[in-house]
Amino acid sequence: MKKIIFVGLLILVFAFAVFGCGAKQEPADNGGEQQSQTGEQQQSKEPVKIGFFAPLTGPAAADGESVQNAAELAVEQINDAGGINGQLVELVDYDDGLDSKQAVNIAQKLTTKDNVVATVSGSYSGPTRAVAPIFQRAKIPMISAYALHPEITKAGDFIFRQSFVGTVQGKAGAYVAVEMLGAKKIAILHIDNDFGSTLAQSFEAYAEAKGAEVVSIDSFSFGEKEFTPVLTKIKEEGADLVYMPAYAGEGAQIVRQAKDLGLEAQLLGTEGVDSTTQFLEVAADTADGLVITTNLNRDSDREVVQKFLTDYSDFSGHAPDMVAASTYDAFMVLASVMKEYGTEPAQILEGLSKVKNFEAVTGVLHGYNELGEVTKAVQVQEVKNGKFHSYGQIDDPEIITPPNK
Amino acid sequence: MFLQQLINGIVIGSVYALTAMGATLVYGIMRILDINNAGAYALGAYVGLLTYNATGSLLLTFIVGMLLTGLYGVLVQKLLYVPMLDKSPNVSLIASIGLFIFLSDLIRMVAGPSIKGFHAEVPFSSIYTESLNINGAWILIIVTTFLLLAVLWFLLNKTKIGLAWKATAQDLETAKAMGVNVNMMVALNYLLGYGFAAAAGIMVGILYSSVFPTMGDVPAYKMLAIIVLGGLGSPVGTVIAAMVIGLAETLIGGYIGFFLPRDAIAFVVLIIILLFRPQGLISKN
Repeated sequence: MKKIIFVGLLILVFAFAVFGCGAKQEPADNGGEQQSQTGEQQQSKEPVKIGFFAPLTGPAAADGESVQNAAELAVEQINDAGGINGQLVELVDYDDGLDSKQAVNIAQKLTTKDNVVATVSGSYSGPTRAVAPIFQRAKIPMISAYALHPEITKAGDFIFRQSFVGTVQGKAGAYVAVEMLGAKKIAILHIDNDFGSTLAQSFEAYAEAKGAEVVSIDSFSFGEKEFTPVLTKIKEEGADLVYMPAYAGEGAQIVRQAKDLGLEAQLLGTEGVDSTTQFLEVAADTADGLVITTNLNRDSDREVVQKFLTDYSDFSGHAPDMVAASTYDAFMVLASVMKEYGTEPAQILEGLSKVKNFEAVTGVLHGYNELGEVTKAVQVQEVKNGKFHSYGQIDDPEIITPPNK
Repeated sequence: MFLQQLINGIVIGSVYALTAMGATLVYGIMRILDINNAGAYALGAYVGLLTYNATGSLLLTFIVGMLLTGLYGVLVQKLLYVPMLDKSPNVSLIASIGLFIFLSDLIRMVAGPSIKGFHAEVPFSSIYTESLNINGAWILIIVTTFLLLAVLWFLLNKTKIGLAWKATAQDLETAKAMGVNVNMMVALNYLLGYGFAAAAGIMVGILYSSVFPTMGDVPAYKMLAIIVLGGLGSPVGTVIAAMVIGLAETLIGGYIGFFLPRDAIAFVVLIIILLFRPQGLISKN
């Protein structure tokens, strides 16, 4: 019996040691509170607080870690460059666990207790949709970094989107499929959530308008790993292109299993699989030939892009993905607006509506419309030799202009 | 296409069979639903990946992964489940859910949240014909599952250990009175149960070339559907139920379409079959 107690104690000690180490890597939960306390103590030089939440735990934890690094990098660089006209920026960050209820609690805290002047959502469409009305009521600007559901910005004029809305990307996908890849018979295989269904719907409408035939639409749930049954079916249908709005985990399995089954159709993905570590590492050589629509062009010769790619890799130890770049951009837009217009929420709101031709990592932002939707070019990337490379860029205003209602 | 879907179904069914076997063995003796089996599944996959990256041997990957995870199972039952045996089964069920969440978060903190590639060299080559494609990893899975189940069948039906296992499963107190080393049987049960879960985790890691901390989430509840359908605690029933669910998912998905998420199909099948056979496919009663 004594032995057992001893072993038990040993495990406890081990567990605490691990927890201790883990906590250092993730200041997410308590960090915000501690920071706001120190902020209250030194009221004379109170820093500008920007709220942030991301799914650091749960099924989207990898994206969460990615955007958390991007947010920390952005704030560090803003402060190193002198902050907002001498005033430092402070990140008030939380983990929403990809849970909308949790996100709502965080939003209440950010708007009532933490006194943030603006917030960046580093989370998916679900949680971001849930909190948008809260920031609207509190009259605190929120920028959704990469969540693409159309409803988010409809919450009101304080809600902005840093990446293009799903309807724009779906349309761009259909343009790539029909005009650039010459597809005639298209099968759609999408993830069954806000992200996937938004993209699938707008893709379908535009592809059919362009004269292609959509032969089948199938969906799968988040975390699905087995696609051989549905891919076997798609192979029978003789589709010449498969449009696959999915995240890295599912997307990697789709491209691998399509290769295993000898599916010859061209695969067309979305920003959901735009991840070097998570997608390309798993899909390996089976990803070659895949074309995706995204907002990050790693081949771009613009200085801001190449600098970010190097800085981010140095900062976090792995190459950045599309969600990291979008989050970084959201902070940089905020910083630039605050420098010019001031750090009050109303001033930030005014500044955001006047953004014009901002040089961001994810493209030149032409500006935000009255709904808060951004206008910028859609990047088309192709996987060659296990790397994303530029395949083209869509800047046709008919496609990239977001809806304003 | 039918043959292709049939093979797809058998591969999926094989993985389910091994995944649920651990929980079946544990339920058979302890009468507790051990959700943490899904934790063992993820743990086994990570240990397997580490071993494979260190040694490059598939055989060692399975042996080390199963053994270490099995020992973890022995530890867990000694420290957690045995002290709870005289409490209501709900107590250990909730403890196992807690332990499962703890374990997958521990894996996330130690190994990081992102998906890790598991690119194993499989000793079988893929078969490609006009109408049929068989991946080398599928052959590995079917062969390994068959081998492991054959060993288990032999152990349970042809050895003294198996006799003792069955006696303990029927009545723990009486078996103890008859001189069966019950503590030993319970420990062995966990060694095997968690070892099987680890083997399933490794196979899934190889099949999908990836491991990640939340990989046990879906098996955690699908495993329940399978062991309930199999008649709770019957190893043979579990294998049959796993095949039924695997084939139902592929054939319904492939022919009728994915009108429901694939995971939901498993539960629809479970509900329909339980309407006609409330005792499960194979039941002792």
